[in-house]
Amino acid sequence: MERKTIDLDQGWAHMQSGIAKLKRILEGLQEPQFSSEEYMMMYTTIYNLCTQKPPSDYSQQLYDKYYGCFDEYIRTKVLSAVRDKHDEFMLRELVQRWSNHKVFVRWLSRFFHYLDRYYVPRASVPSLNAVGLSAFRDLAYTEVRANARKAVIDLIYKEREGEQIDRSLLKNVLDIFVAIGMGEIVQYEEDFEVQMLEDTTSYYKSKATIWIESDSCPDYMIKAEDCLKRERERVSHYLHASTEQKLVETVQHELLVNRANQLLEKEHSGCRALLRDDKVDDLSRMYRLYHKIPKGLDPVANLFKQHITDEGTALVQLAEESASNQKTTSGSGSQDHVLVRKFIELHDKYMTYVNNCFMNHTLFHKALKDAFEVFCNKTVAGSSSAELLSSFCDNILKKGGSEKMSDEAIEDTLEKVVKLLAYISDKDLFAEFYRKKLGRRLLFDRSGNDDHEKCILTRLKQQCGGQFTSKMEGMVVDLTLARDNQLKFQEYLNENSYVNPGIDLTVTVLTTGFWPSYKSGDLNLPSEMVKCVEVFKGFYETMTKHRKLTWIYSLGSCNIIGKFNPKTIELIVSTYQAAALLLFNNADKLSYSEIMTQLNLNNEDLVRLLHSLSCAKYKILLKEPNTKTISPKDSFEFNSKFTDKMRRIKIPLPPVDERKKVIEDVYQDRRYAIDAAIVRIMKSRKVLGHQQLVSECVEQLGRMFKPDIKAIKKRIEDLISRDYLERDQDNPNTFKYLA
Amino acid sequence: MIFADGITLLCNDIQVDPQDIVMLVLSWHMKAGTMCEFSKKEFTEGLQSLGIDSLDKFREKIPSMRSELKDEQKFREIYNFAFGWAKEKGQKSLALDTAIGMWQLLFAEKQWPLVDHWCQFLQARHNKAISRDTWSQLLEFAKTVSSNLSDYDAEGAWPYLIDEFVDYLKENGVNQHGQINDSSLN
Repeated sequence: MERKTIDLDQGWAHMQSGIAKLKRILEGLQEPQFSSEEYMMMYTTIYNLCTQKPPSDYSQQLYDKYYGCFDEYIRTKVLSAVRDKHDEFMLRELVQRWSNHKVFVRWLSRFFHYLDRYYVPRASVPSLNAVGLSAFRDLAYTEVRANARKAVIDLIYKEREGEQIDRSLLKNVLDIFVAIGMGEIVQYEEDFEVQMLEDTTSYYKSKATIWIESDSCPDYMIKAEDCLKRERERVSHYLHASTEQKLVETVQHELLVNRANQLLEKEHSGCRALLRDDKVDDLSRMYRLYHKIPKGLDPVANLFKQHITDEGTALVQLAEESASNQKTTSGSGSQDHVLVRKFIELHDKYMTYVNNCFMNHTLFHKALKDAFEVFCNKTVAGSSSAELLSSFCDNILKKGGSEKMSDEAIEDTLEKVVKLLAYISDKDLFAEFYRKKLGRRLLFDRSGNDDHEKCILTRLKQQCGGQFTSKMEGMVVDLTLARDNQLKFQEYLNENSYVNPGIDLTVTVLTTGFWPSYKSGDLNLPSEMVKCVEVFKGFYETMTKHRKLTWIYSLGSCNIIGKFNPKTIELIVSTYQAAALLLFNNADKLSYSEIMTQLNLNNEDLVRLLHSLSCAKYKILLKEPNTKTISPKDSFEFNSKFTDKMRRIKIPLPPVDERKKVIEDVYQDRRYAIDAAIVRIMKSRKVLGHQQLVSECVEQLGRMFKPDIKAIKKRIEDLISRDYLERDQDNPNTFKYLA
Repeated sequence: MIFADGITLLCNDIQVDPQDIVMLVLSWHMKAGTMCEFSKKEFTEGLQSLGIDSLDKFREKIPSMRSELKDEQKFREIYNFAFGWAKEKGQKSLALDTAIGMWQLLFAEKQWPLVDHWCQFLQARHNKAISRDTWSQLLEFAKTVSSNLSDYDAEGAWPYLIDEFVDYLKENGVNQHGQINDSSLN
């Protein structure tokens, strides 16, 4: 059956009544809901009008009329309703109207649904839903958005100032801004967010200006933390999630970034004051606040570093001052130990900060390291820090050192000392001093505890590598071997009693490479001792044939019996002292020069030696004239009247100051090390520019010492003249390796 | 072998002062090993390469040899040759006095305003022999660094002695024209 063609106007008239009903419902007027028949009729009218044969296919016209409905309604009713009101009331109206509109669109698009199925895709036009939304956007939203925005921002301001506001209202309003974008957030951003952020900026800018003047650093930080918390809450309550990051950044920028210097450097409450007063909570807050800001922690770390540097430098200065006040050689020793202890304490204190307040952040580890590197390398009263550390260790490890500590405390302290070593650039200097003192401890049986000696060597090895400790370990092993050797020597003597020299002899054989270099003087030994040496040589040759023994009498010690008139006393002296005393078995009185000739010692050693026997605590020899110092014109006599309440006394021979020699040796070694490094680098790279060569050198050698650039240059030139390297013909800044 | 006497005679014949720098150029052509000496081989092969077979030709060649000093590349070769030529046989370095004499001679040709300061500096502060590297790098220094030292690169690969020289100049207030007021030199 042919359907009757409906005329557009006819059909539209049907629609009008339905639409009018819909509007009445929207206006909130008393109106019953659509019945299913009414609904169907609306739908079918559209259907019919669209499925008629052209020219009666009215799809396009209906599509336009669809839009027209919104147009008319919005213009006549909606806009004025919204414009009529202000502030919060306006917002409420807007929200209401928007809600209505959504209903309108929903219903109307259902009526017109048939268009969505065929016309919309065929004509490639926006869907009915989209048309509905864009109608609101173009006709209502664009007209009222500025006012709405302003009203919202005003409410936000009120909330910031502490008033209660209707959060759900704001959420609803902002939902409009979001929804209007129809899937894109751009509308919300442009129409609302930008302005809101600007407003936030000026709000916090002015707050910051006030607070920074009136508040202490901790109080300011508490406020800042609070503001950030509130802003985040704001987002979760009514702003779009995408605003959070920008908002937080804005607040951080105004409160924390722009004011960083003023805040952190506040005179009595800034970062350094907090460190001084141990305000752990405040510092933790500072870390939390600045942690999220890119490069935000840099100024904090800098202040941290400055603070530590200043404290460390002050300690150094204090030590310098008390050293120059004291001006006695023995006094300065204990001062050094005090300084090292203080360094350790300082390190522990600030490491705690790094671990706790600053959450182990690398920036702060580095700040601590940099600070320590600055003052740990300063010289105090002529001693480098390398020397100070080594004598500190010596003090702990030797018997009768000035510190009495439990085993645990010792191990703990040694561990901390090794950590401090990491900050010292002249590690090779430390190694050499340490080795010298270790030598003393081992040879003169002054070492307190073998385990501790081994313990510190293990730690040094862990931190500085095997090469650092190999010689020292060798020294310790030598001692163990020497003990075994001595037992064998005893056996040898027992088996070959005819060679027994008649004197108890203990010999310690040292491996030359491991031990520091000692000068082996040509002391003229007393005949008794000469025999001993020969006997031992005989024994040693039975053990190994290919080793050469060099005797270091300066390290020896001797127990001799002094038959004094009052009573016999056993004297524990060094070999040199013994040799000198034994001369008086054959002569009553000897002049300085006679002694010198007979012993074959140099002036320096002889003066020290004679001083210890005639001008110190125990006067075994009488000196003429009886002055306090030794002169080459003096003469000496055995003091037969000497006595002491003890039956056995030790007469110390003060050691020579090794410092100069150690430094010389180390500087010499450095030249070799630099040469070796340069050759090694050039051998592998073949061609390298000057700058790179220098920086690689510095890097390679950095584990042990900080090479002087001038020194490196000199070594390079030396290597050029020795034909290891040459300059490139075309580019004199580049070097080539000569095989 | 021709030694000093023979050379004096030769100079007479070609009408050139024995101290004239052109003798250096001649020695360079001859690849002479040491100054004040020519071996037979050096002499004859050198003259051959110059195309000289008579005294007249010799005299004619003098001006052109002199002009070779103006050529940048040749000057550099001659300058570097001078080191090996002027030093003692068997020594690695050049004695200071000889070096200073050579520098005075060479830089009279090439015009380096700081040459006197350089020589003063060496006598005051260094007083040791000069290495080959320092010798050759000095020419580069004279050529590339302006006399007010504004373009001197302290981080560069200049020999240690040249760095010291720059410090010396700065200490003693070198001004724009390379003039200096060093009170220690009085």
